[in-house]
Amino acid sequence: MKKIFAVLAISLLSACASDNAQQTSDVEDHSYNRGGEGEGMRSGAGSDGFGMNPLQDPNNILSRRSVYFDFDSYTVKGEYRDLVLAHASYLRDNLNAQVLLQGNTDERGSREYNLALGQRRANSVKDILLLSGARDQQVEAVSLGEEKPRALGNDESSWTENRRTDILYQGEY
Amino acid sequence: MFLRAFLPLLLLLGYGVAQAALFGDSETREQLEALRTKVLEMEARMQRTEEVFMGQSLIELHSQAEALKEEMGKLRGQIEVLEDENRSLRKRQKDFYLDLDNRLRQIEPGSASVSVPDAGISIPASELPAADIKNTTPLKTPVILQLPDTAQRNRYDAAYALFKDGDYSGSIASFESFLSQHPQSALAPAAAYWIGNAHYAMRNFDKAISAQQRLIETYPDSPKIPDGLLNMASSQVEIGQKAAARKTLENLIANHPGTEAAEKAKRRLGSLK
Amino acid sequence: MVIHMRNFLYCTGVFLLLWMNTPLQAALNIEIFGGGANRVPIAIAPFNGERGLPQNISAIISADLERSGIFKLVDPLGLTSQEPVSYVDWLGRGASALVIGSASMLPDGRVDIQFRLLDVAKQVQLTGFSGAVTTEQLRAFAHRIADIVYEALTNEPGVFSTRIAFVRKQGSRYALQVSDYDGFNARSLIEYTEPIISPAWSPDASKVAYTSFEKKKPVVYVQALATRERKVVANFKGSNSAPTWSPDGNKLAVVLTLHGGSQIYLINADGSGLQRISQSPGIDTEPNFSPDGKWLIFTSDRGGSPQIYRMPVSGGAAERLTFEGDYNVSPRYSSDGKRFVYIHRNSGRFSVAVQDLSTRQMQLLTDSSFDESPSFSPNNRMVLYTTEVSGRGILSIVSSDGQTRSRFSQEAGDIREAVWGPLLKQR
Repeated sequence: MKKIFAVLAISLLSACASDNAQQTSDVEDHSYNRGGEGEGMRSGAGSDGFGMNPLQDPNNILSRRSVYFDFDSYTVKGEYRDLVLAHASYLRDNLNAQVLLQGNTDERGSREYNLALGQRRANSVKDILLLSGARDQQVEAVSLGEEKPRALGNDESSWTENRRTDILYQGEY
Repeated sequence: MFLRAFLPLLLLLGYGVAQAALFGDSETREQLEALRTKVLEMEARMQRTEEVFMGQSLIELHSQAEALKEEMGKLRGQIEVLEDENRSLRKRQKDFYLDLDNRLRQIEPGSASVSVPDAGISIPASELPAADIKNTTPLKTPVILQLPDTAQRNRYDAAYALFKDGDYSGSIASFESFLSQHPQSALAPAAAYWIGNAHYAMRNFDKAISAQQRLIETYPDSPKIPDGLLNMASSQVEIGQKAAARKTLENLIANHPGTEAAEKAKRRLGSLK
Repeated sequence: MVIHMRNFLYCTGVFLLLWMNTPLQAALNIEIFGGGANRVPIAIAPFNGERGLPQNISAIISADLERSGIFKLVDPLGLTSQEPVSYVDWLGRGASALVIGSASMLPDGRVDIQFRLLDVAKQVQLTGFSGAVTTEQLRAFAHRIADIVYEALTNEPGVFSTRIAFVRKQGSRYALQVSDYDGFNARSLIEYTEPIISPAWSPDASKVAYTSFEKKKPVVYVQALATRERKVVANFKGSNSAPTWSPDGNKLAVVLTLHGGSQIYLINADGSGLQRISQSPGIDTEPNFSPDGKWLIFTSDRGGSPQIYRMPVSGGAAERLTFEGDYNVSPRYSSDGKRFVYIHRNSGRFSVAVQDLSTRQMQLLTDSSFDESPSFSPNNRMVLYTTEVSGRGILSIVSSDGQTRSRFSQEAGDIREAVWGPLLKQR
């Protein structure tokens, strides 16, 4: 009952202040990313002309989109925690934003089995995002398996490059 | 996270109230103050909630759970392997036992007198150990086969290779010489079988039949017998001995149920009209 | 096969002049023993008049029969299809069976082909056949002759007129193609710039299910061969892959990630009626139905490494089938349900292996480095797979006893994900 009353009260009061409704959106976004830039974050990806989109700003951690894994490993390494947490925070503050996580593998052998291994790499990033406050509807984890290698070489550095999960925002894929 | 969604509304509420305050009413102002405190309180609580998340305790817990899952998978795999090893060990043990049992039967005087009946000495059945009574069907003395050494295996493989290349007479000669020198080899029954088969391939059906006959008589316990019988039946068909072929196939089906050869024999028997 | 032949009749007016009346008892009674041991010596004489043809008919028949692993080709050493047949000479070459034939151009541009299969020892004809085809149909006709010879000598269905599907990658393009069993006459079903994997034939050979990445994630499609019409069967949140048909063609098993890891689901062929089948904390993928539709074999890493398991389609406990090594994947049943073929990794090499379900005996069929996607021919005498040779995949066939291997290296591009199509039953 209390809640319902509160909601009613709020709607009444906000009706009084309708001419200021626009500005409230700025307030709404204030807690986003301790970095400060608060504009236009509701639209997910894409710049709104007001400075740089944090997702594309090379100085912002959010511009980093790849999480690399060790051989035969599917856990997110400590060095990528902050990166994943920053994206979680962004998703929390931008409920309209959605990400596609694409897992990849360098492994030889069965393509379908590798697809499942890539899925495991995407899932482990997804798990951290959800545990850090992103919503299930905002995150889709998929796998590209060994089908779309970024590096084509047959050496250790190429393989390392292909053991990864990419974070793509809506509109970027 | 519900709280978080709620925050803008609360702020909105505060903002609206602030406007209302302009109309000036001390009671409203008090309520407004109370609300403001509440908002601040809630914000602080949210901060703490967030810190819990950012403190990564859940994530740690999750990664521990993942590690446990992996560990469990490995353990499960080990159990599966152990179960499989256990299964094959039990089978091997059973085979060993049967082999040992067979050998003992030949050594034990009681059973020997049953399996090799001697007209001169007769032992009343009552004096026989009870377990041996069911053994009164005359047992052919089984040949105890020895595991082949490398030299034997090489000779066998060479003879087999000749067969595969279609040099049937060469193959027969090689297998025959193998057989005469290593009649006790575990490969001997197979050699006997391939001799018959090679004769069949050369369309020497009489020789094929007698070769398989030899296999059956010399190595009655060999797993090659069903295939030998099948080959014998095919040879009998080729030379027009349909009745004999039928008998051979029936014998095969009756005495070697479940073998691939018996399955083939059933099909062939159907078409042997 | 009837369908195939009927097409012939309609398209080109082939005349089946004489199906020689072949009483079964006259057939060479060939015992097919394991181990590739008893290969039947057969001679395929050059056909009279085939020199001027765009296709060498006797060579196609020879390659077909040899690949099956059941026949040993006898070199004619100068002997021809000339009649009367000199049986003594053929016997001297070591041939038990002999194929002779002739080809002649008809005024309308078609080619009239006749052939006879002879028992050399008994000096009798076992079967014969004649027809007229266009030059484009010569290959298909030669395969048909090989089928007839094979069936007459073994009493088993021949598979030389069946089709296969595979993915050809050329540059940045991926094509899902269907071809003759020997890789000839390849035609694209679909071409795209995004990867395609896991083609699977419907049991009636009218459709192919596959996984495409064109939507930036794996999605399962079903496409009809005749109309090329295609539709999405599984596009759920997460990845959708590894389709395989139930033997009645009504359902597909697919692998989805709706609940985290890759798990096996059943879905109706129209995309309705989703039902989860496997329940494991690990990966379950690459399902394949037993021919009776009661079992699924699949790859799972629930035991820490990828191994092959079997479980009832109706649900229930899964039983592990492979124990050699730490990497056994991509299982597929034989059409009699007695064996399955799969990829086994041993000291870094991925080779084709076969395991008997009742005895659990496993046998390696190849010793190459990177073999993938093995599948049995419909009569289980051969296994189709792809193997990597200097950086690109090529089609290969090995006889089920591992004795006879052949590679089709004439194709351009990188071939992967090959799968043998079903045998069309006589209606």
